[in-house]
Amino acid sequence: MADKARQRQGKRPRQGLRNISKVQLFMILGFAAIVIAAVTIVSRLALAKTDEVLKNKVVSLTSSLNVQMKLNMDSYLSRMETIATLAFGDKDAYTYDAADPDNDEFEAINTEKNITEKLYSLCIMENFVDYGIVYRNNRTVGKISNATATQFGDRIFTELSSMISRPRTNDGWSTGYGNDFKRIYYVKKVHENAVLVISLYASELDSVFDNPETLSDMDIRLVNGDMNMIYSKRSDEVGKPLPEEISSRIRGNSSASVLDNEYLVSVNSCGDWYVICSIPTQIILNEKNEITTFIAVTAIAAAALAVLMGLLLSWQLIRPIRRTVTTLDDKARIDLLTGVLNKLTFEEYAAGCLANSLDTEQHALLIIDIDNFKSVNDTLGHAYGDKVLKSTGAILREVFSEDDYIGRIGGDEFCVLVNTRADSDGEFREYLHDRCEALCGAYRSRFAGSDGSIRVSASIGAALWPADGRSFEELYSACDKALYSSKKAGRDTFRFYGADAESEVRQ
Amino acid sequence: MMGIKRTVLALAAAAAVMFGGCGDDAVIHDQTEQTTITLSWWGNDSRNEYTIEAVHRFEQLHPEIKVKCSYSEWSGYEARSRVQMISGTEADVMQINVGWLSQYSPDGKGYYDLERLADTVDLSNFTSEMLDYGRRSGVLNAIPIAMNAETVYINKDIYDRYGLPVPKTWDDLFEAAKTLSGHGIYPLSGANKSLWLYCIAYTEQQTGKQIFDKDSRLAFDEADLKVMIDFYCRLVNEKVIPKTEDFQRYNLENGTYAGLIAWVSDALNYYKSVIDQGVQVIAADYTADDASQAGLGWYAKPATLYAVSKNTEHPKEAAELLDFMLNSDEWAELQGVEKGIPISSSVRRYLDSAGKLSGLQYEASQVMETNRLIKPMDPLVENADLYESFIEACDLVLFDKAASEEAAAQLYESYSKIYETV
Repeated sequence: MADKARQRQGKRPRQGLRNISKVQLFMILGFAAIVIAAVTIVSRLALAKTDEVLKNKVVSLTSSLNVQMKLNMDSYLSRMETIATLAFGDKDAYTYDAADPDNDEFEAINTEKNITEKLYSLCIMENFVDYGIVYRNNRTVGKISNATATQFGDRIFTELSSMISRPRTNDGWSTGYGNDFKRIYYVKKVHENAVLVISLYASELDSVFDNPETLSDMDIRLVNGDMNMIYSKRSDEVGKPLPEEISSRIRGNSSASVLDNEYLVSVNSCGDWYVICSIPTQIILNEKNEITTFIAVTAIAAAALAVLMGLLLSWQLIRPIRRTVTTLDDKARIDLLTGVLNKLTFEEYAAGCLANSLDTEQHALLIIDIDNFKSVNDTLGHAYGDKVLKSTGAILREVFSEDDYIGRIGGDEFCVLVNTRADSDGEFREYLHDRCEALCGAYRSRFAGSDGSIRVSASIGAALWPADGRSFEELYSACDKALYSSKKAGRDTFRFYGADAESEVRQ
Repeated sequence: MMGIKRTVLALAAAAAVMFGGCGDDAVIHDQTEQTTITLSWWGNDSRNEYTIEAVHRFEQLHPEIKVKCSYSEWSGYEARSRVQMISGTEADVMQINVGWLSQYSPDGKGYYDLERLADTVDLSNFTSEMLDYGRRSGVLNAIPIAMNAETVYINKDIYDRYGLPVPKTWDDLFEAAKTLSGHGIYPLSGANKSLWLYCIAYTEQQTGKQIFDKDSRLAFDEADLKVMIDFYCRLVNEKVIPKTEDFQRYNLENGTYAGLIAWVSDALNYYKSVIDQGVQVIAADYTADDASQAGLGWYAKPATLYAVSKNTEHPKEAAELLDFMLNSDEWAELQGVEKGIPISSSVRRYLDSAGKLSGLQYEASQVMETNRLIKPMDPLVENADLYESFIEACDLVLFDKAASEEAAAQLYESYSKIYETV
């Protein structure tokens, strides 16, 4: 019964429950915000730390690789220099001068043949392009390739001599003569009129700069002091200047590693040359992006899980409170005997409804007063009186629609705010007449006094909104006057306020 | 209360599933396992460059194989190859000279039997006649790449400039020298082995003998060697050629040498930059007393052959590389006719369709292939001690240290210590 009443009368949100819903919403949103903020902060910290660790590791790894490559290169060059030095083990090799005009030609031929044989035997297992001695008159002994002979022509002694750059050991490494970077030359002074020359293909450095498969994205290059590439895995770029985006990052450094948003570059000097390892940061970031995605997905999943948990827990927590509050709220609003709204609630709802209505809307307030209720109580007892009141609640709910507000505003006095819509004022008024007659009829049939009980009837006063009053108080006052008029007319009847009081219908 | 417990349990289970993957499992990273094989060859600059590039192509097609290269110019390579063959450190795949077959594999067991690799190496591109060049005692030890012969290259622009005909006879050369020597130009030039073979051709034409008979015995006697020595000294003294010790290849470019004796396979090695300058160089007929004798005393041989080490631990990988070198378009594209006109029929078809069967090297190979008198070379002829001793003997005469009879006698004596004579 109370539930039904609540359903019929619960047309307006109840403040208490609204507050609980608000609290619940705030709780969920607050919890979600805290969880998301916490997860975001933790994720960002984790990402920042990961980023830092990853960058440090990659820089450290690249730096180590670069140092290893430099050591490989140093070791390779040193080995070549040692093999070159072996030529000085033969006396003819360092004393003979093919440019001496006093040479006996026949002896010279035999000496040169001997030197050539010695030199060949010294470099027998090496992939040298050249391993020979060049004299001031451009005569050569040992192994001088066609390519070198063609390259330098009759300037071979002068050009090779100019490659000597280290005064301490009277030797030097060079490449790029005539912009040809295919061969790398090592030249060492033998005496005033002779230089020893070794050359090898730049591609021989493949074995020096062979990097592991896991670092295959790393570009490893050897450049000279002018930043021209002597060696690169991409053979087509050998001889060209080192790309500006690489060289600009290491300019002025002979041993450093640089990591920024575009490149990771590491450099180490190797005599007059530099070993440079580089990799676009984007390639490293690819791995970082994977980690970022992983952390982000995990964070979102954790946050969603936490919010879901919060939602369930808050629902579990709020449910009993809501149930208790709903019960209390119902008890506070409903008149428990009749199942209609109590006076306070009715007045609050009715006043609110009228205050929020447009003038074009139609409302009417009815006051129903049970005639001679005191004598019912006196004669048949309060229990019967309560029965009459309870029946009145039931009659009112039967006669009026769910759109209408029904309340008990006094001991035997009820009020109805009729909200049912009609097409015109006339039709509305006719509807009211009809309902009033139905109400009086219901009393008559239910309390006819035929079973020994007292006949009970009701008097009704009606007032129309907004014609008879704009506010609830004004309307109530008008309605009360109409009720008085109805009582005065002999009870068991209804009256409309104002002009309509003349058109009363006596039952 | 039960509801809360259930909820918490469910959420805890979900969290456990979500984070359950974070364990202490060992990280395993597979790396490509590579088999390293070795490849050795001799050659000039351009051969070295394209071979290295072709090897890179092979490695890209076969990432599981790494090829380590060992290369040198001819003179150093021969000694290196000897050291490696004797010490058992030879490369898995080798470019070899035809003479080494008899030297290192007299019974056919010195190199891998390539017919055991026929699953991988396509031998159908070679005629059995060509494969016979690589057989020892019936075992296929090597596969020839191309045929080769000494060729007379003439800088026609220089000859034309001085109104000289392209030399066809020995006399033409001496006549040309009379005109050209006054301008500091040599009508011909050559490295020691080429001049050795050139002198053999002359001597065989004059004596009607072959230097080695069919049983590989030295058939030249002292008198024949004297003819050779005298001829070389006459070439030098009458300024037809510079002494071989004075031979400088850049003189081909500056016009000091108007001609060259060299292998078919060396045409572009010597003349590429000259031809690039717009100079007309031709492959002339083989020199003789008269045109009907051209080719007499001249020898052809496989330019080079490929063999596989009998000790190889990776025959399958070696076979993959060998087939790639012999029959693939990728290799042929880079190699072109550098080693002569390839014998492999598939490679010839490719080069023909690519329009690469032309130029000086092709002309030289045509001179060889159309000559009817040229004979297969006895590998012994190329032995270094033969021609080095010959040049030494010639120098004795040139520098008046000995008369030619004396030098020939000494030379014959030294040869007969090493080689069986008739």
